[in-house]
Amino acid sequence: MTAADLLAVVMVIGLTAYALTGGADFGGGVWDLLARGRDAADQRRLVSAALGPVWEANHVWLIFVIVMMFSGFPAAFGIVGSTLEIPLICALAGIVLRGAAYVYRAYGAGAAGPDHWWGHVFAISSAITPVALGVCGAALATGDVTEGDALAPVTSAFGIVCGVFTLAVTAFLAAVYLCRDAASSPETEHLVPGFRRRALGGAVVSGLLAAALLPLLWSEAPVVAERFAERSVPFVVISALGGIASLVALWQHRFTAARITAGAAVAGVLWGWAAAQYPDLVVGRATVDSAAAPEANIVAMLIAVACGLVVLIPSLWMLFRLFANPEVKS
Amino acid sequence: MVHAAEVLSHVAALAQAADPPQASSVSTNLARAQTAFSLAFHICFAVFGVGMPWLLLFVEGRWVRTRDPVWLALTRKWSRAFAVMFAVGAVSGTALSFEFGLLWPAFMARYGGVLGLSFTLEGFAFFAEAIFIGMYLYGWKRLSARAHWLTLWPIAIAGTFSTLFIITANAWMNTPGHVTEVDGKVVSAEPFAPFLAATAPHQLIHMLLAALMCTGGIVAGVYAVGMLRGRRDAYHQRGLRVGLAVLLVCAPLQLIVGDWAARVVGNEQPIKLAAMEGLGHTRTHAPLTIGGIYDEQTGEVRHGIEVPDLLSLMQGLSADHEITGLTAVPPEERPNAVLVHSAFNVMVGLGMALIALSLVTGVVVLRRRRRGERPLLPTGRPWLWAAAASGPASMLAMLAGWEVTEGGRQPWIVYGRMRVDEAVTSSSGMPAIFTGTILLYLGLATALILILRRMATGGPELAATVGETSTTPDIPDARPAPASPDTPARVRGDGDGGDGPGTSAPTTPRTDPSSSEGDAR
Repeated sequence: MTAADLLAVVMVIGLTAYALTGGADFGGGVWDLLARGRDAADQRRLVSAALGPVWEANHVWLIFVIVMMFSGFPAAFGIVGSTLEIPLICALAGIVLRGAAYVYRAYGAGAAGPDHWWGHVFAISSAITPVALGVCGAALATGDVTEGDALAPVTSAFGIVCGVFTLAVTAFLAAVYLCRDAASSPETEHLVPGFRRRALGGAVVSGLLAAALLPLLWSEAPVVAERFAERSVPFVVISALGGIASLVALWQHRFTAARITAGAAVAGVLWGWAAAQYPDLVVGRATVDSAAAPEANIVAMLIAVACGLVVLIPSLWMLFRLFANPEVKS
Repeated sequence: MVHAAEVLSHVAALAQAADPPQASSVSTNLARAQTAFSLAFHICFAVFGVGMPWLLLFVEGRWVRTRDPVWLALTRKWSRAFAVMFAVGAVSGTALSFEFGLLWPAFMARYGGVLGLSFTLEGFAFFAEAIFIGMYLYGWKRLSARAHWLTLWPIAIAGTFSTLFIITANAWMNTPGHVTEVDGKVVSAEPFAPFLAATAPHQLIHMLLAALMCTGGIVAGVYAVGMLRGRRDAYHQRGLRVGLAVLLVCAPLQLIVGDWAARVVGNEQPIKLAAMEGLGHTRTHAPLTIGGIYDEQTGEVRHGIEVPDLLSLMQGLSADHEITGLTAVPPEERPNAVLVHSAFNVMVGLGMALIALSLVTGVVVLRRRRRGERPLLPTGRPWLWAAAASGPASMLAMLAGWEVTEGGRQPWIVYGRMRVDEAVTSSSGMPAIFTGTILLYLGLATALILILRRMATGGPELAATVGETSTTPDIPDARPAPASPDTPARVRGDGDGGDGPGTSAPTTPRTDPSSSEGDAR
């Protein structure tokens, strides 16, 4: 395994962390958008309280992945930057608006328009970002990227289904996490049935979309599909078992267990894709080898990552421990 | 980095003749304008991410030690403003990392690896900042007062290190070295290349001081305006004092660093120095030209004040020292000296004004102390006006300084190695992207200003009529929030940031002498 390979593995780990933390934060925004009925306001408050202390830290995983990509595989980043501009700009607009709208609602006190306007901005931009990122991922797999045709990634059926699948997965994760958050306090216990229903629904929808993606993968991304069949079966099994176990755990109201199984289901999808993608970064355009920065730089980055993790992991552990049970203001 | 003048001129040129051959230069200019705009937007918030934690460490530290509610009130107010500014800084910083690839794909494709270590380390610094900010902002109730104060340390240290890492990347673009290229491909690069850039040390210290000056200046400005409106209580006086102290201590230091910076630039990027000083032709006995407008036709500065020999003296300690002029390189390799010289003048002029304010205030404070007068800081209306202006002045000087750094490097994106127009995207969508970005950011900035203005005018509602010499404690209790106009709505989405320490901390009674400590000192 070369240094570049190792860096690619680090990137996938970062991406997994982002999906499981930052992804669920976007999913929280989706449930804000879809909040209906008597408990709508309480649901939104729970989402907001769950995000508050952690969303900025969760968001840094994305920056981590982007930095790994442009520093470790600069040639691939150049290609991505000049071909995926439409989905990237949508993701970017979503990220900027989501973060800004969240704090404007939390701290604005209506000084810049009513809080519920910012609430809607927060919710809608939360839903846009995962779709756009899913479209980007699909384009890396199909290799359907050309400098002259900016619309190609957003008009491919595979890309769109991938985007919707990503959205469904983030919403599923968020609902599972929120079950546990709601159950942790008597004040929010009445929200459990609603989120449990949403989590079960999210699991089913994600599973159906995953099934719909498979034939598209074969027709649109044959190179990746072939390697997928060869290498990714163990990950698919983990993902499927995780999904089923999540349904069981949710059914039995075992929400902490459901968090773990749901995380495994999502991680399985990501690792299955990553294994099938290797050694391509952008299929047909850039591989781990061809796009890599000089080895000395990658080694330096890996050392920096290792040192950084020594500080990062205890800090993250403290953060999540401190805010294990969100506090909802009524 | 704000090429506003250039943008305007290009927009005008576009309107007149938008013929296809110009398409690539139009796209370069739009990409430059967008980078300039997003960087300027980001940096206006990033400076608070760097400076504010250090100020908070001081005021919250005072509160932990004295339990004086005025210090708590300042801490609470500043932490709320900091929360909003950090979040906007974080998302606009993310936008930048995307924009590197979207706008300058060829630059990133060639040099991304060189900057890898800087950006990786910056990523971790940002991680630490974000994690501990989460604890700080939402941990009022879950942490002891001391632990809560302690979470500021990693925030402050990480913010300062972020500056270090980002500045090394920029310094390498200005003075790229320790990299070997063959046929436009980097074949080997020392991992520490950005850290070894000749311009890194002075750029770093210049920027850190600037960040502290901007934070101190804006804080001082907010409280000076409050006092001008008649709110001359201990809360406002202390806020003003802390902000102004930071600004006025840093300002003279900035002069020394600035002088150092100009000398390094003179050695490493002589053409940038020539643009800064508006020097057209290489010569000895070069004068220092203050003000004026550079004339590209004659290579002279019009309407400026010339101090004979001074530039040669400052650069080489001798009037015979030769200074390179802009005409030493072909016209297409010269930066826009009109813009760079003007920006340099703005920065130096404002910096000098702040140093003058610093010196005069220092003298007055010393005299008042000798005479036993209180408060030490003069708070007459002219003084307050000067303090109010010092915030915008610091910000403007900082932005002008970045225009000098970046504008002076043109037409290079990596000095001497890659030109800006080689790096730019070939996307045909640039006008749409540019327009969208500007509209989005202007909208967000407007909303943010409204929110910050509301926060700034909130304050703990203290007796507005209390005179500045009053020694009576004027905060009803340790809770800064209850009387502020923004209370009812803001408690809602605020996590537990609304009333944490107010309810959990021992309340200082009205008669406690410590609460008037600010006035008595």
